[in-house]
Amino acid sequence: MGGPVIVPASVLGRNGKTAPSNRVVVGAIGIGPRGRQDLNCFLRQPDVQFVAVADAQAARRETVRRMANRHYGNEDCHKTRDMFEILARDDIDAVLIATGDRWHTLGTVLAAKAGKDVYSEKPCSMTICESQELADTVNRYGRIFQAGTQRRNVDNFQFAAHLAHSGKLGRLHTVHASILRLHEDHNWLPAQPEPNPEEIDWDLWLGPAPWRPYNKSYVQGRWRGYYDFNPGATLPEWGAHTIDLCQWAAKADHTTPVEFEADGQTIHAKYPNGVKLVMRKAGFKGEGDWNVPGTCPVRFEGDAGWVETADHGKLAAHPASLLEGKPKKEMAGTDPIKHVRDFVDCVKSRRQPAANASVTRRAHIACYAAAISWKLGRKVHFDPVKEMFIDDDEANRMRSRARRAPWHA
Amino acid sequence: MNLKRSLLSGLLGLSITGAGIAAEADEQAALKVLASEAGLHEKARACQKLMVTGGPDAVPAMAALLSHEHLSDYARWALEAIEDPAAGEALRSALPKLKGRQLIGVVNSLGVRRDAKAATQLIALVRAPDRGAAEPALAALGLIASPEALKTIHAVLANGPDPLRVPAAHAALAAADHLAGQGDRAAAKKLRAAVAGASVPDYIRTAAKQPAAASAN
Repeated sequence: MGGPVIVPASVLGRNGKTAPSNRVVVGAIGIGPRGRQDLNCFLRQPDVQFVAVADAQAARRETVRRMANRHYGNEDCHKTRDMFEILARDDIDAVLIATGDRWHTLGTVLAAKAGKDVYSEKPCSMTICESQELADTVNRYGRIFQAGTQRRNVDNFQFAAHLAHSGKLGRLHTVHASILRLHEDHNWLPAQPEPNPEEIDWDLWLGPAPWRPYNKSYVQGRWRGYYDFNPGATLPEWGAHTIDLCQWAAKADHTTPVEFEADGQTIHAKYPNGVKLVMRKAGFKGEGDWNVPGTCPVRFEGDAGWVETADHGKLAAHPASLLEGKPKKEMAGTDPIKHVRDFVDCVKSRRQPAANASVTRRAHIACYAAAISWKLGRKVHFDPVKEMFIDDDEANRMRSRARRAPWHA
Repeated sequence: MNLKRSLLSGLLGLSITGAGIAAEADEQAALKVLASEAGLHEKARACQKLMVTGGPDAVPAMAALLSHEHLSDYARWALEAIEDPAAGEALRSALPKLKGRQLIGVVNSLGVRRDAKAATQLIALVRAPDRGAAEPALAALGLIASPEALKTIHAVLANGPDPLRVPAAHAALAAADHLAGQGDRAAAKKLRAAVAGASVPDYIRTAAKQPAAASAN
């Protein structure tokens, strides 16, 4: 028989510390400015231990390493260029993926196949087929997935969706999602000499996206708007949030609209139950034909009233009495703190988080179907069960893009 | 953005700011670009346009690019989308001639197309590790899920070399989901049982014991 073993109180979870056995160990893949906001929320969770970062850019991985080490007061955070190092670690439970859009699905699929749970920034896919692949793979491996569509866990958006669900708006007939100006840029920036891969690994940065010559603007974050990197004519940029919220409000998380038609920069869609989805522009600061300030406004209309809200946390409604019981504190719609907490709780409980893979699949598919109708300049009909356009070869061909080799899932 | 670049974009039709790309994505115009001395960018865009409008006439031009360092992947955009059997034939014919990334890319595309006619060649790649495409070939076989493909996946799971056992398990689970969705529950169950009993990490064996992803959605 051995003698008594002295176990530190922190190991047992006393002294305000979470026991290691109850901690979620997290790594990160591709962390830029938005990823650091997410990471900051993970670091603030007492039951999360952040241990490693992989990034194609040396400066970014060093920034994250310092951020984590400063938080924990140690030198333990590991940095690497190779995400497979992180995915191969048995001690890592979950990964935060905040690369550019081009990597989101493949990163999630590779992580799920490595047995990791995933929090991924949005848009989580580049196409309809990637949206399917992401959800199928996450569900196949029983992983917990949370899309970075944090507004599902922001008070004012929740309040508005619950109003729609409560029947207080009467019969819901129209939901409105704000989107950015639809456009696609097919240009390539002028070629510049490729940097040393140890500093910036251009080939890895591109990943599954089609090849083009290096230009430093891309890796400095100015890849948005380019067709090869930013999918769906930029509609999913906000649509991943706002169309997702409309799906939720319309109790349509299990389906998608069945027809889409663009009228200039506005796209009209209709759900199988007749509820209309209107995707229309808002300025970047939320200005435009909306009643509330802030980015990502949404509006839900029934035959007995309407409610509208956006990222500043304000709510507008008619009749005004609908706002009784509204959240007292206004929370920024961009703040992922509650969403990250939801994810961590779900990693531990194995229940499905608010923006799980299945709801994300449908919301993203709705985004891409809408963008395709805009690109084709005509009405398209969509089968939400087969997740294909009906009798429309042109539209169906736009559901997928080949991945650049050697990347494959 | 300078004026020169804006004008150039307009002339080349490379920036889309309004509805209706169908008209600009004309097959013959794209093929003309590919046959010309145009630069990489223009040829890449031509391939992307052919993804939407290309038919059998576009296949030879795409096939000719499959060994190209940068345009091979762009050619696959079109070849994955063109339903005509000529596209599959072009990909299969390219397999023996390719190596490295271009070989892996074509293997991936055959998987995406679920090209059962490619199964024999893909099985040969699984058995030829020196060609460097065994793992993607297994993944493609999982997508194809033909009887011939399943036989190889089962064999690798049971007796295959260690480095291929996990890829075979992933392929088996993908095939099981596909077959369950097609109504072949017996084959799906057999695949899942094989993974559950294989020498692979626990989380994969656990995944094999849960309901198919298709039904989870």
